[in-house]
Amino acid sequence: MSLKDISTSVPKKDHKGKVSGQLPYISDVKVENMVYGVLVRSPIAYGKIKSIQLPTLPEGYEAVGAEHISGPNYVKIIQEDQPIFANEWVNYIGEPILMLVGKDLNTLYRLLDEVKIDFEEHQAVYTLDEAIQQKSATGITMASYEFGESLENISAIEQGAHQIIEEEYDTGYQEHVYLEPQGMLAIYREDEIVVQGSMQCLYYIKNALISALDCGADEVRVVQSPTGGGFGGKEEFPSMMACHVAVAAKAVKKSVMLVFDRSEDMVVTTKRHPAKLNYRTALDKEGNILSMCVDIYLDGGANAGLSQVVLQRALINSAGVYKIPHFHAKGYVLKTNTVPNGAFRGFGAPQSFAGIESHIGHLSKLGNFDPLEYKRKYLVKQGDPTITKGIFRDPILVEDMIEDLLTASQYKTKKAEFQHNNPQNLRYKKGIGTSLFLHGCGFTGSGERDHIKATVKLLKSKDDLVSLKISNSDMGQGIYTTLSKIVAKELDLPYERVLYPDPDTKEVPDSGPTVASRTTMIVGKLLERAAKKLKTQWQSGVEQEAVEHYVHREMIPWDEKTFTGDAYPAYSWGVNIVEVEVDTLTGNVKLEKVYGNYEVGKVIDERIMKGQIDGGLAQGLAYGYLEKMTSKEGRIQQKSISDYGPPTAMDVVSIDSKVFDNPYADGPYGAKGAGELTLIGGAPAVQAAIEDALQTSFQQIPITPEVIIESLWRKEGEGD
Amino acid sequence: MAEKITAYRFDCLEQTLSQLNKEDCAIIAGGTDVMVLHKSRRGVPPKILKSVVFIDHLSELKQVNQNQKDLHIGACCTYSELLEHALIPVALKNAIKSIAAPAIRNRGTLGGNICNASPAGDTLPLLYVYNAKLRLRSVNGERIVAINDFIQGPRRVQRDPNEIVTEIILPSVLEEDAHVVFEKVGNRNADAIAKVGFAGYIRINDARIEDVRFAFGAVGPTMVRSLNIEKKLVGKTLPLADSDIAEIVADFDKIIRPIDDQRSTAVYRKIVALNLLRYFLSLKQYQTK
Repeated sequence: MSLKDISTSVPKKDHKGKVSGQLPYISDVKVENMVYGVLVRSPIAYGKIKSIQLPTLPEGYEAVGAEHISGPNYVKIIQEDQPIFANEWVNYIGEPILMLVGKDLNTLYRLLDEVKIDFEEHQAVYTLDEAIQQKSATGITMASYEFGESLENISAIEQGAHQIIEEEYDTGYQEHVYLEPQGMLAIYREDEIVVQGSMQCLYYIKNALISALDCGADEVRVVQSPTGGGFGGKEEFPSMMACHVAVAAKAVKKSVMLVFDRSEDMVVTTKRHPAKLNYRTALDKEGNILSMCVDIYLDGGANAGLSQVVLQRALINSAGVYKIPHFHAKGYVLKTNTVPNGAFRGFGAPQSFAGIESHIGHLSKLGNFDPLEYKRKYLVKQGDPTITKGIFRDPILVEDMIEDLLTASQYKTKKAEFQHNNPQNLRYKKGIGTSLFLHGCGFTGSGERDHIKATVKLLKSKDDLVSLKISNSDMGQGIYTTLSKIVAKELDLPYERVLYPDPDTKEVPDSGPTVASRTTMIVGKLLERAAKKLKTQWQSGVEQEAVEHYVHREMIPWDEKTFTGDAYPAYSWGVNIVEVEVDTLTGNVKLEKVYGNYEVGKVIDERIMKGQIDGGLAQGLAYGYLEKMTSKEGRIQQKSISDYGPPTAMDVVSIDSKVFDNPYADGPYGAKGAGELTLIGGAPAVQAAIEDALQTSFQQIPITPEVIIESLWRKEGEGD
Repeated sequence: MAEKITAYRFDCLEQTLSQLNKEDCAIIAGGTDVMVLHKSRRGVPPKILKSVVFIDHLSELKQVNQNQKDLHIGACCTYSELLEHALIPVALKNAIKSIAAPAIRNRGTLGGNICNASPAGDTLPLLYVYNAKLRLRSVNGERIVAINDFIQGPRRVQRDPNEIVTEIILPSVLEEDAHVVFEKVGNRNADAIAKVGFAGYIRINDARIEDVRFAFGAVGPTMVRSLNIEKKLVGKTLPLADSDIAEIVADFDKIIRPIDDQRSTAVYRKIVALNLLRYFLSLKQYQTK
């Protein structure tokens, strides 16, 4: 197959294996001399381990714990606060303390029940609200940043303002619900430990293993196995599981498999950070914004993990797509004794966009403006400064995208029609809402240059097949296909002659983690350059390779301390319009129409992009009204998919979407990031639509039927 | 290694009943509840402590037929089979469509839904307002019992170990021009466990109420139904006066006592249950069927 237009869809590289069900995932793998591992977990939220009493272990069964770790007892991520096996303090329910290993799972589960641990319990912090109250106490604030206009200036503006609006907004947990639960296998060999499993970031794991095993780089090897969905849930979390199986394999000199079932996965793995966002906005008589202050609190859970980076993205996006005069923001990650929160598609931005879109929408109602018209007044334009004193360098097409969507959705007609018809229908009320959003592509600031330093390699064999040697994971998002297409087109080769074997750190350089909507834009560009290089040197029948290293785009340097500079090299953009029907008797929300216009530079494969749009939007919409996870005294309450309630095919309607071309010079064929963008607009648009239907305001997501019924109940009470 | 279990799959009902008379077995129809109930953690087969007897294939339990104006439904008819059957009332089909998803509906049976006796059993509110009766058979003969007597509490039914529920009888369902409403409130549109279930049944003659019944699911240990409250409405004419509606709603307000759990709150369940009741009572017109 030759590629005329890069956007034209091709069959996905992994299509056959997945559709036929033949592709083995990690839980399907069995190797020689393999035992299973099960984790002894903390039953309490906060306390000190006094003693551990193990049952008599049958022959071939062993307990592995902190004493078996050769290196320091923490999972190498950013801070050194996450034990591999907790041996002194436990900080959340479910924290791993020991691993029992042996041949038979049934026996292991029985032994698990017989382990007795004595704790000295301490008073835990269970909720974000409790943590906010105690935020100056030692150990509660795990990270904080503050930036923007000085508070004295803002205070002066507020004094002259017509009114000051304060709003508090809450966002809940979100669970990734990747199709394949987490799983990791350590294969034991005399000279090396091979760790294989479901993952997004091979070198994060490799570095964590080198630290935990205190060994050389050539003594550990990380291989990605087919990965059934990640959504950020397989960014940092697998590093801990990899340490567990590798430490255990070393200790018992056998291969060790650790796989979670769905309920264990839901209860102990990272989630999207619950957040509280406070807005304080000064308005003039006409309802124009004079100044705005935003405070963001993220519930980090029990370990720092990646929370500080999540907070950075939340803050950078705290003004949404708007140019707000006199803007100030600060944010905190607070520790609670709950399951650690971590990376999740959007990485702090979904919380901020839900909050700012909600707040701006509410401000528009105060001034009797149409929400969309009000938002457009403040929309950033090319050349405008960002809130961190960077610049929006590239053309911004959002105005065109809005105009197009207004026509496609008949927004104005629908809005008037609903307002007219709603009073006549006592039970069902219809509404329409919009959201405007962006996503900064790639790592924050100079992360690519200073921390990641990506390298890619192309290897041409004697029979002129070209293999991609990079450390990025295809987790369903389609990079096996899209990155192969880029290389094939550049080399003018049929797509079938470009191969992308499952990454293995023994074979591939570190091209960075598969996160932050960076893969197509950053790694894709490096591959494009490597392919160009290989093409100029091409000699048929000869083994050849081409290597490329990351080159930084000229930007205003990012300073993490002052929180200034260009936070991202480029931005992708989106507009959503959502129509809903709300059942006022049950509070159930039915999606009626969903529209999305996106701008991601250039689409590398139309069908794959449509997959990102439909999947991301479904996940984003559900974040706004459907998916509900709660923690009660440190314990996650929803342990099954049906209790948590991600959308089914019966809940999502066909999504009407379009992608606008706006090629970006530093992306392959002009491509920017797309994976996270598609999630971000869902929740705010569905909230706006529900508010339109019920002619009321909400200060939280998800807006579940319980929230709606409570609001209607209160409203009815006021009417009496 | 997994322990061995004994499983029976007899050719006919007689043999099945005869075995049940000798041995207390776990009965599996579709298995969609039994397998979940006995599920083990990953990699370990379900632990069922008794011998298992399969009844899903028994043709004696898969018939649907009409007897006078009564409808007889074989206990092992799957939901999918009932959806296809011409005799099954529309309201029951609507209730069945709200259950799980096609894969489960291909296995799950109406008899199974009853014997599982979940407080949130999807078809139960409707079967209660149909005044459903169950035929139970054993080697000693058979008996017929009303569904509300049969279901005693969560996962507790009045079935002797040697008995099988063979059919569900919906009395007079094929005769009356009753209007029947079923509402399932779940957290999503498929594969959801009911947070509230409601069934309403009304038969009118010239705007005069001849018979009216209500049942609520997932708001108590078993379905909530009250003949005393229902009786108050018999003889009244439609549309009902606001004061009559308020009285009925207030009566149910007293006897509906839901709980908080991982799926919803007591407050929500109660408000929604009463909303659905009030809405049913306020309808100006009822369409039959």
